[in-house]
Amino acid sequence: MFLFRRRPANLPDAVIGYLEAPRPDPALPWRDVPYSVMDVETTGLNPRRDALLAIGLVEIDEGRIRMDRRWYTLVRPPDDAPVNAEAIRVHGLLPQDVEHAPPLSEVVPAVLRRLTGRVLVVHVADIDIGFLRQAMRRLYGVEPRGPAIDTARLAWYFQRNQRLIEGSASEQEPALQLRALAESVGLPVYPEHNALNDALTTAQLFLAQVSLVAAHDTPRLRDLLRAGGCLR
Amino acid sequence: MDEIVRFLLEHPPFSQLPLLQIQRIASAVQIEYFGQGVQILTQGGKPAAFLYLIRRGSVDLLRERNGVVELTDTLSEGECFGYVSLIQGKPPISTVRAHEATLCYLIPAALFHQLRRDYPPFAQFFARSITDRLEQALQQRQATAAPELFQTRLRDLITEPLVTVAPDTTVREAARRMREVQASALIVDLPPYGMLDAGSGIVTDRDLRNRVVAEGRDYTTPIAQVMSAPAITVPADSLVFEGLLKMIEHGVHHLPLSDGGQIIGVVSYRDFLRLQSHNPLLMPQRLARAHSDADLRAYTEQVTATVGGLLDAGARVSDIGRAVAAAHDALLVHIIRDAEAALGPPPCPYAWLVLGSEGRYEQTLRTDQDNALIYADNAPEGAEAYFEALAERVVEQLVRCGFPRCPGNVMATNPQWRQPRSVWQNYFRQWISVPSEEALLQTAIFFDHRPVYGTLDTEASLRPIILRARENRIFLGRLARAALRQTAPINFFRQLVLERRGDQRGLIDLKYRGTAMIVDLARLFALEAGVPDTNTITRLRKSAGHSSLNETSAEELIAAFELIGLLRLRWQYQQLCQGLEPGNQVEVDKLTPLERRELKEALRAVAVAQRAVAVTFQTSLIA
Repeated sequence: MFLFRRRPANLPDAVIGYLEAPRPDPALPWRDVPYSVMDVETTGLNPRRDALLAIGLVEIDEGRIRMDRRWYTLVRPPDDAPVNAEAIRVHGLLPQDVEHAPPLSEVVPAVLRRLTGRVLVVHVADIDIGFLRQAMRRLYGVEPRGPAIDTARLAWYFQRNQRLIEGSASEQEPALQLRALAESVGLPVYPEHNALNDALTTAQLFLAQVSLVAAHDTPRLRDLLRAGGCLR
Repeated sequence: MDEIVRFLLEHPPFSQLPLLQIQRIASAVQIEYFGQGVQILTQGGKPAAFLYLIRRGSVDLLRERNGVVELTDTLSEGECFGYVSLIQGKPPISTVRAHEATLCYLIPAALFHQLRRDYPPFAQFFARSITDRLEQALQQRQATAAPELFQTRLRDLITEPLVTVAPDTTVREAARRMREVQASALIVDLPPYGMLDAGSGIVTDRDLRNRVVAEGRDYTTPIAQVMSAPAITVPADSLVFEGLLKMIEHGVHHLPLSDGGQIIGVVSYRDFLRLQSHNPLLMPQRLARAHSDADLRAYTEQVTATVGGLLDAGARVSDIGRAVAAAHDALLVHIIRDAEAALGPPPCPYAWLVLGSEGRYEQTLRTDQDNALIYADNAPEGAEAYFEALAERVVEQLVRCGFPRCPGNVMATNPQWRQPRSVWQNYFRQWISVPSEEALLQTAIFFDHRPVYGTLDTEASLRPIILRARENRIFLGRLARAALRQTAPINFFRQLVLERRGDQRGLIDLKYRGTAMIVDLARLFALEAGVPDTNTITRLRKSAGHSSLNETSAEELIAAFELIGLLRLRWQYQQLCQGLEPGNQVEVDKLTPLERRELKEALRAVAVAQRAVAVTFQTSLIA
């Protein structure tokens, strides 16, 4: 059955393609599903107020991270949200770095092309998907669509399981920071606060987590969504 | 990206490539994560499509030949695999399996071939590796010799059939029986044979010569009149080394072996010689000849050196512990006898107790002294002064032999730990009935006591009281809590939890967060099951099924204990050889991938057992 949805007219092809792509079948083995792992750099933590500065993406195909298909772009912030001192401290990005970068209206279709037909993977959905959602609403009046997976949520899922087994005896407070999590599973950590590096760290964390979802069996997309899904 | 470039720059043969090529590789790699045990390549299967470079973790190379799968190598961070298959374009010659969780950079075949073509040193590196690998595999097959003395059980030495005769058998008849079956010794016993009691004994070739022929006795003399009784026996599962010490200690050449209260055979000194080990066969004889301080010191140094030899030869830590305990016990007995000789005979029965690791037969390298003394109640006047003098002499002599005083002053020289029987009984009564977690931590080593010398029966004196711990759930609960003060340093991701701070960074304490955790659990289970043994492995084995410990967990904990103990001992011995003070903090980075993996598995077993204890004893509910 075809579902009609009210959709603003005159959307760019990239956006339409993104919205109309078939969703991956949740029954597929996880390896047969393509993923795009995204990380953003912003001027702050509030998607309504703060601006996107950079986006990094790596793709995962057949269970392998493809460095040859990595993607990184700076984003020119709107004039009403200039790069503040705090953001400079975190990312080392200066106003002149992003001055000549493409604006959101060019970047978002490019991002959506890379997300089309793929499962989005992020670390802490509130931020990464929050900023994407804000940009899509503002530009096209549409919402990002799932399925998407949050590695922080996956980590929380494992930690909760561990606490259930151990009782309150667990010695460590739940830590969901990307770097701490990557280190805790013995992964190499790339320099932080660069959207591409963080996307790569997230992608590696994701692969490590997948091997924990069903240790003796190949997990299906459904299993991953159940443990760490974050967008319908 | 930069990170990948940096990694390639550090590892040959990539490090020899121009930076531009390295950057090209970094931007072309694919990254794959393999959970532990995942098969990456399959021998005879699909040819490799990538060159695999291990970024984190390690992999096993396994080769099947004539139905036998052999581990040929383990590769770790910075090493490559898959190139033989890539170069030859044929199915892999080995199966590659993730040894632990492993992250790999995958270099596409086309790029690999292009680099080989353009950079001859790069090509040569992989060509050479193939031959290197074959040589290595060959070398590994040349097995090292086993140290018979320390790995063989006495029961395996039995060559003579067990000959048993009734006590009224004549000497002539007994000698005939020995000739018939070519035995050099026989057991004198009443039917049903093999149940030794005070009336049974042993007769050897030597006895017939010395006590019958040389004495001119009549050949119709009942054999009971010339036998040695009671016979010195040892458990059949004792190590050859222990048997040897027993023989020297008692000046005998034959040892009947007991198993479950029955005599199952006799071993002779000749059986030992047949083992022909160049190992420290001479050690016990050295002790028997030792008279000066220098001799005794040399003896203890020899014991320490032996530990290294045993380690190299692949002995288990539990065996090394037993061998060292036997050697140290012999030394201690020697020292106490000297003290008695100087002070005169003891005024009343007493026993010298060793505590802690020594009490558990788990001492390996020399450690601090932990000892105590218990003597009979209603001792005559002056007994206290006698035992004080005895303790001073013995402790002082042990110090001279290289066993430092206990910093916590748990020694027989401390009047608190040199008391009559009734006081000791009160100590244990109080520890069990009014348990405080703090006190339990300090008194735990007393539950690991064993007598090494003396005639006072400590088991009869103290065991009935210690057995009361079984019924005292509050005591067991507190003990459980004390046992869980340290948790196994491993997280849900099966990763080791290392120290993160300061100079402890990257270290793991294999005692406090390793063997000691298992010792504490074993003590708990043993007290719960009423098992009197002190040795951790024996405790686990015997309390399985009779306490909250089940057989599977017991086996896992035993394996974990052996493994962690071995890693710790190897590490300490290395430090000792480098002239350093041996410690328990191990740098995880310096362990081999295989050791790391085994350590993880061992700690995981401990973590599982700890969780079970937490649930059983509801440790979180005890205020």
